[in-house]
This record gives sequence, structure tokens and C-alpha cells, in this order.
Amino acid sequence: MNKIWFWLIITSICILLYLNPEIVLPTMMQASEDTLKLCLSLCAIYSVWMGILQVMEDSGINKKLSKLLSPFTKKIFGNVDEVTNELLCMNISCNILGMGGAATPLGMKAMQRLDDGSGKANRPMIMLIIFASTSMQILPTTVIGLRITAGSESASNIILPTIIVAILTTFIGIGLALIIEKLKKGKKKTK
Amino acid sequence: MSVYLLPVLILLIFVYAKSKKVNVYNSFINGAKQSVGIVVSIFPYLVTIMIMVQFIKISGLASLLAKLVSPLFNLIGIPTELCELVLLKPFSGNGSLAILNDIFTTYGVDSYIGRSASVIVGSCDTVFYVTTLYCSQTKVKKLLYAIPVALIATLAGAILSCLFCRIM
Repeated sequence: MNKIWFWLIITSICILLYLNPEIVLPTMMQASEDTLKLCLSLCAIYSVWMGILQVMEDSGINKKLSKLLSPFTKKIFGNVDEVTNELLCMNISCNILGMGGAATPLGMKAMQRLDDGSGKANRPMIMLIIFASTSMQILPTTVIGLRITAGSESASNIILPTIIVAILTTFIGIGLALIIEKLKKGKKKTK
Repeated sequence: MSVYLLPVLILLIFVYAKSKKVNVYNSFINGAKQSVGIVVSIFPYLVTIMIMVQFIKISGLASLLAKLVSPLFNLIGIPTELCELVLLKPFSGNGSLAILNDIFTTYGVDSYIGRSASVIVGSCDTVFYVTTLYCSQTKVKKLLYAIPVALIATLAGAILSCLFCRIM
């Protein structure tokens, strides 16, 4: 992450110095301003979803959901404590239902609880990141909306391939991670 | 059908909570309260990544890289027109939506390119954005293999998107 960020920034600035040096600082300012706007809308989105999520938690829906999903999460994330497991289950369900706005705060809370302070990501954290970034979604609402605006005749004919690809990518990601974990364990044993 | 999914779900949650004697009003406030804190704490991380996204777009680095990798991408089944989208997708959700719109106007929404692009954008999230947000609340510095694996899965998703759009 660190290295990618550093090198991409350095290369970009070098190119811009050659092409159009005046634009470097305004670009940074613009990006910052855009982020502030994004954060405002995120704040609005999170407020709504976290309100709803709190209602779900207080009414015990979270506990039921996590019971339902825990055989699955135990396999992927390994043994985590009960509260974290609840957060993970909620995060996954929100991702699947297309409530990305709700999934993110849940994921961040789960990450906080999983953090062991060693500075290195542990297995459940890595799984969560992979799961979130390859997120399954039942309805790609934003894309369908864009297609309708662009005047598509069959805006929703991408739903089926999208779902299939989304599920497959999640499996590929999780599968690869599981293989790597197995290899690591094997190495430790031979040492 | 899909129009009703979320509204009905929210309604059910509220009604269920009431039946469990939860004070929905207070509960909602307690939840919503936490959002400001979260957004304030993620802001610096977001600024940093957004600056990078803006830079690689404006400097033309993204399209340059797209040109470089296009022969390789063609080999695994990704058309040249989609290379920039595939490259930018892991960094920026909004950026890739903008490119998606461009693709719609240039190649047509219902063309093969338009449909593949839709599936690519719809089927994966933005790896770096998600990772930045999720790690912003922790002390984690070393992510080990998380990002490479997520990127490989995203790339595989792009290949599969192009494949499925050809068949379906």
C-alpha cells in the first residue's frame, strides 16, 4: 500500500512537471475538496444505516443472523469472539444485500476488534479485506441506474452475469487466501 | 421487484424491533450518533488516496499504463477498450463510474463492450478504497498478501465478466 502510493504519486508528479507544472497543487486541493464532499455524503449515508443497524442490534436480529451464518464464518475467519462474529456476519449480509453504506462501518468496527496491535494483519483481518473488496452483491443498483440514464434498452440484462461473476471472484479470493494459509502452515511444520 | 426489497426490509426491521419492545427512536439516534466520529477519523485516509487517484488520472499515467498492459490483457480476453477501466477500478469507485459512463456514450450501452464494462463495475468493489477504510481504524501496517490476492481476484473477475458477456 505504502509503496504503491509513493511510486504512483512520484511518477505522476514527474509527468505533470514535464507536461503542466501549474496543475500539481490545484489537483491536490481539488482532490481534498472532493473528499470533503464525499465525506459529507458518507456521513449522511452512515447516519441512516447505523441508525437502522442499531435498531437491529437492540432487537436481537444481529444475534439470530450470526447464529445462522456462523458455520460459514467460522470456516473462513477461524475462531473469533462472539461480538466480532456478529459484526462479521452483519457485514457480509449487508454486502450481499447491496447496503454498502452499512457494511463499511460494520467492517471497520470488526477490524478494530480483530486488531492485535502487532502491526501485522492477521488471518481474519485479511479474509475480511478480501471479502469486502470482492464483495458479493445481489443487485448492482448503481450500475443499473447508470445504464437506464444512458438509454439502455435492457438495463437489467447484466444482473445475472454480474451475480455469477461476483460470487466467483469472492470464491477465487477466499480460495487463494486459504491456499496461502495452508502453504504457510506447511512451511512452519517443516521448519 | 427490486424496488421493494430495501424499503420492505427496513419496515420489517422497525416493526420487529417494536414487537421486541425496543425503543426504536432512541435506538436510531444512538446508532446515527456514531457516524460523525467515523467519518472524521477516515477523512485523512481518504484524502491521501483520493490525491493519488486524481494524480494518476490527470497525469495520464492511468491511460499510459492501460496502453502498456493492453496486449497482455487482450491475451487473457479483456478488450483494449476496457483496459483503463480494469486498471482504475481497484483505486476509485467514482472514477470507474465516470469511465463507465464514457464507455456507454462511446461504444453504446447495450454493446458487448458496454455490457462487459457494466459487469466489471458491478461485480467487484474498489480494493484500495475498501482496504484504506478498513485499516484506518487499526494499527496495521503490514497487510501481507491481502492486497495481491484481492487484486488477482478482481482481475479474474474482469476476465470472467468479458467471458460471460460473450456467452450470455
